Amino acid sequence: MTATPTATKPAPRFVRADGPDKVTGSGRYTADLTLTGALAAKFKYADVTHARITKLDVSAARAMPGVFAVLTQADVPSVKFGPFVQDRTLFADGTVRFEGEIIAAVAAVDAATADRAVAAIVVEYSPLPVVNDIEGALAADSPLVHAEWADYGSILVRDRNDASFASIAKGDVEQGLASSHLVVTSRYVADGCHAAPIEPRAVVAQWEGNKVTIWTSTQVPFDARAGVCETLELPNNRVRIIVPHLGGGFGGKCGFHYEAHVAALARVAKRPVRLVFSRREEFVAPDRRREGIVYEFHTGVDADGRIVARKAWLAIDNGAYTADAGFFSQLAAMHALGPYRIPNALAEAHLVYTNHQPSGSVRAPTAPQTCWALESHTDEVARAIGLDPVAFRTLNAVDTGAEGPSGQTYGEIGVQQCIEAAAAGAGYGNPLPDDEAIGVAIGWWPSFSVPSGAYVKIDGDGSGQIITGAQECGTGAVMTLRQLAADELGMDPEDFELVYQDTSVAPYDMGATGSQTLFNNGRAVVAAAGQIAEQLRNLAADRLEASPADIVLADGTASVAGSPDRGVPIAELAGIAAGGELLIGHGSGMPPGPPPTVGSTCVGDLGMSAWVAPQFSCHAVRVKLDRDTGVARVMHVSAAHDSGTIINPIGAQGQVEGAVLMGIGQALTEGTTYDDQGRQRNAALLEYKLQTAADAPPIAVHFVEINTPDAGPRGAKGLAEAPNVATAAAISNALAQLVGAPVRQLPMTAERVWTALTEQAAQS
Amino acid sequence: MSESIHLTVNGVAYPVTVDQGRNLLSVIRTEIGLTGTKEGCDDCECGACMVLLDGQPVNSCSYLAVQAQGRAITTVEGLADGDALNVLQRNLLETGGVQCGFCTPGMLLSATALLDRTPNPSDEEVRIGLSGNLCRCTGYAKIVAAVQLTAAELRNG
Repeated sequence: MTATPTATKPAPRFVRADGPDKVTGSGRYTADLTLTGALAAKFKYADVTHARITKLDVSAARAMPGVFAVLTQADVPSVKFGPFVQDRTLFADGTVRFEGEIIAAVAAVDAATADRAVAAIVVEYSPLPVVNDIEGALAADSPLVHAEWADYGSILVRDRNDASFASIAKGDVEQGLASSHLVVTSRYVADGCHAAPIEPRAVVAQWEGNKVTIWTSTQVPFDARAGVCETLELPNNRVRIIVPHLGGGFGGKCGFHYEAHVAALARVAKRPVRLVFSRREEFVAPDRRREGIVYEFHTGVDADGRIVARKAWLAIDNGAYTADAGFFSQLAAMHALGPYRIPNALAEAHLVYTNHQPSGSVRAPTAPQTCWALESHTDEVARAIGLDPVAFRTLNAVDTGAEGPSGQTYGEIGVQQCIEAAAAGAGYGNPLPDDEAIGVAIGWWPSFSVPSGAYVKIDGDGSGQIITGAQECGTGAVMTLRQLAADELGMDPEDFELVYQDTSVAPYDMGATGSQTLFNNGRAVVAAAGQIAEQLRNLAADRLEASPADIVLADGTASVAGSPDRGVPIAELAGIAAGGELLIGHGSGMPPGPPPTVGSTCVGDLGMSAWVAPQFSCHAVRVKLDRDTGVARVMHVSAAHDSGTIINPIGAQGQVEGAVLMGIGQALTEGTTYDDQGRQRNAALLEYKLQTAADAPPIAVHFVEINTPDAGPRGAKGLAEAPNVATAAAISNALAQLVGAPVRQLPMTAERVWTALTEQAAQS
Repeated sequence: MSESIHLTVNGVAYPVTVDQGRNLLSVIRTEIGLTGTKEGCDDCECGACMVLLDGQPVNSCSYLAVQAQGRAITTVEGLADGDALNVLQRNLLETGGVQCGFCTPGMLLSATALLDRTPNPSDEEVRIGLSGNLCRCTGYAKIVAAVQLTAAELRNG
C-alpha cells in the first residue's frame, strides 16, 4: 500500500476508541488534572556536571511561607536503584554526575512560590574532573564517573567507566579478515538525540492513609510502580499508578522517573502534589536520551563481494547513570553486525559512563544510529568491490533458512522481499538530476516476547469491557485490542470499551515499550476472550439444543454451524449469564521462548543475540542536495517492512510514516551538542529542530506480510520501533553519492555536509 | 497587578481576574477551565497551545490574557457542532491523523484557520499552513490528507 498526501479516503475500519476525546479536547492528560488543595512541585537541579556537594542548606526554603515540603536524599530511604546497575539514588547523595541531577524537591502553594524556594536552597560544590568524551572515558587514566563502581549491585560485565561490556563472536574474525580479497575500515560517530514527545511529562500524587495514587505520564505504569515501591519501600498493593491520556513517549517516558519524588513530597506535605515539566526540563533531566556512539568497522569480502568477516567496535555513551541502557551493548553489537550472512564475526560494545545526561530506551534504542553507521560502511564496501548497493545487499543479507551473524537460523523472513519492494517503490535505477540520489539501507529489530495479562467481561446488556495492563502511547496498539476481542467473540469492536492504564485494576503488562503491546497483550486478550467464547458456546448449546462444539459466534449471534437460522443473540446470552455464571475471562498465555543460536559465544549475554519473530525493513530514500550550502532535502521515502501480519492497516501505516519522519530528523537536524563541561547547549525546540509538515516528504509504505513462526496474534510481529531504524542510513547513502564520500557524523547537518563537500573538493 | 476582564471563549463571556502578566494559555486552562488547549514548550515553538483570535491562529502561551479582551477566542472545545464532530474533526480521526492527540487541538485550529482563508489549498499550502504545529507521531501525511479531504467536502457543500 502507498500513502500519499492526497485526498483519498481510506476505509474507516479502525477509528480509535480514544479518538473523540482527542479531537474534542475532552480527553484529559496528566497536566490537565487538578485536585483540591494540590501543591506545585519544583526541583533544584545540579547544573554542574561533576562535583562533590560540600554544603547543602534547605533551611531558608523550608522556612518560606507557602512552602509545605522540601526534600533531599536525607529525607527518603537510602536505596540505590537501577534495573541493570544499582548506581543511583532519588536525590544526589554527596556527588552530582550530570547537570539534570536532582538535589532537592519543593512542594509549595503555587509554582512561583516553589520557584522562590528552589532559588533559596544553598548548595556549594567542590568540582571533580568532568568526563565529557566517550572514548576518553575508556582510557586507563580517565577520571571515574563512579569512584565506587565496584561496590554497586549489577548483573553486567563492568570495569571502571565501562558499565556494560558485551560481545558476539562467531568463527575466526582475524583469520577471516586476513583471507579476504579486500577489507574496508570505517569510523563513524553518532551524536545523542532526544525522544522529544510534544507532551512534557507530569506527575500528580495523592495519599489516602497509607496508600498513594499517582497519575503520571509514563509509558510503563508497572515499571513506574516498581520504582516507587523500591525507593520508598512500599508494597506493590499500596501504590496505584494511573496514566491519563499520554501525549507521546517514543521511549522517552519509559522507566521510572519522578513518581517517587512527587509521592514523597505529597506524603510530607499531607496534600496532593503536582509536577509539570518545562520543555527545558524535558530535554535535560530524564534518563532517556538516545545515546551517542563511536563506531569502528572492518569488513572483508571475497572477490565476488560475499562477506567473509566483519569486526565492529563500539563505545556507547551511557551518561552518568545506567538506566535501562544495560542491555544496549549487546543490542548494539547485533545491529553493528547487521542482518547479514557473516561466517566470521566479532562485535565488541562498551557502555561508557560520562558526565552527560543518562541514556535510555528511545524508539529502537541503539538501532537507528548503528544502522546508519553500519549501512554507510556497507555502501563503502560495495563501492570498493564494485557492486551496486542493492545487489550487494541482495547477495549478503540473511534470508529464510539462512544463518545470521549470531548463529540464529531464521524461519520464514521477508528481508529480501523488503529490499526488492523498497527499491521498486523508489524507482531505484531510474535516471536522476545530478543533485539527487537514492540511498538504500536495511534494518532489523526484535519482537519482544514477555508476560502480559488482560481481563475481558461482558455485562448483562451485552456490552463488553477489555481491562488490560497495556499502555497506549498513541500508536493505537491498545485500540487494536478491541478488534481481537471482537473477532474472538463474533462481536463488533464498537461493542467494547477499554479500561486501561491503571495498575490496581488490570494485570501486569510491560507497557508501551519494545513495540510489544499487540504481540503480548494481544495474546492475553485473545486468551481472555476465548474463555468467554467458551461460556457463550455452552450457554448457546443449552438454549439451541446443540453441541457446544457446533456453536459459531459471528455477527453478534451464537448459531449452530450449518444452520444459521438456529441462533440466539449474544446480548441475550449475556442477559442469561448475568443471572448465573458471569461472563468474565482472564488471559495471559505463554510467551514464545527464545530461539537457539549455534556456534557463537556472547560475553555479557542478556538474551539479545537471538530474536523471536525478528522484523526486517528496507528504506530507499531520494535526497536532493544544494552543494553550495550543504542543505539536504528528503524528496521521497520508500519504506518496506516485514512486521508480520498487519492487523490495523491505518495504524500500521501511521507508525511507519511517523518513524520515518523521526528518522529524517535524526539524520539531518536532531543532535545534542555539549559544552566543555558536558552540559547540553541546545535544550530547546528552536535549537533542536524537529521536522515540520513543510519538511515532510511523501512516504510510500509497503508491508511484506509473510507467515512468521512464533509470531503474535494472527502472525503479527511488533512494529512501532522498526520503521525508525533504516531511514537515517538510507539518507546517508544518498548523501555519500552526492558528496562523493560519507558524512561521518550524525546528524548530517548542513554544516557537516558542507565540510565534507569542501574536503572532497580539496582532494580532487 | 490584577485586572478584571471579560474573555469570550467559544461564544461564552467569562469574567476573570488575572494578573497583567498572565498568558492567555494559563487563563484558558485554569480560570476558564478548558484544558483542551495544551502547553508543549511555553516558547512559541510547538503550536500545541494554538487558539484562534477572531479567526487568526495565535500561540496562546506567548499572548497576554488582557490583550484578548474584546476578541472572539476559539479553542478546540468550540469546534464540535453540539455532540457531533465537525467535518475536520471527523476526517482527522478517520484518516488516522490522530495518534497521541497532544498536538491535535492546535493542529485542528491551524487547519481551521487555513481552510477559512484558503478553501482550495494545494498540498504545499496545507503543509506550510500547519508548519507551526509540531507533531511527533504521525509524519503529518494523514493530517494533510484529512485537511484536503475536508477542503473537498466543504467545497462540495
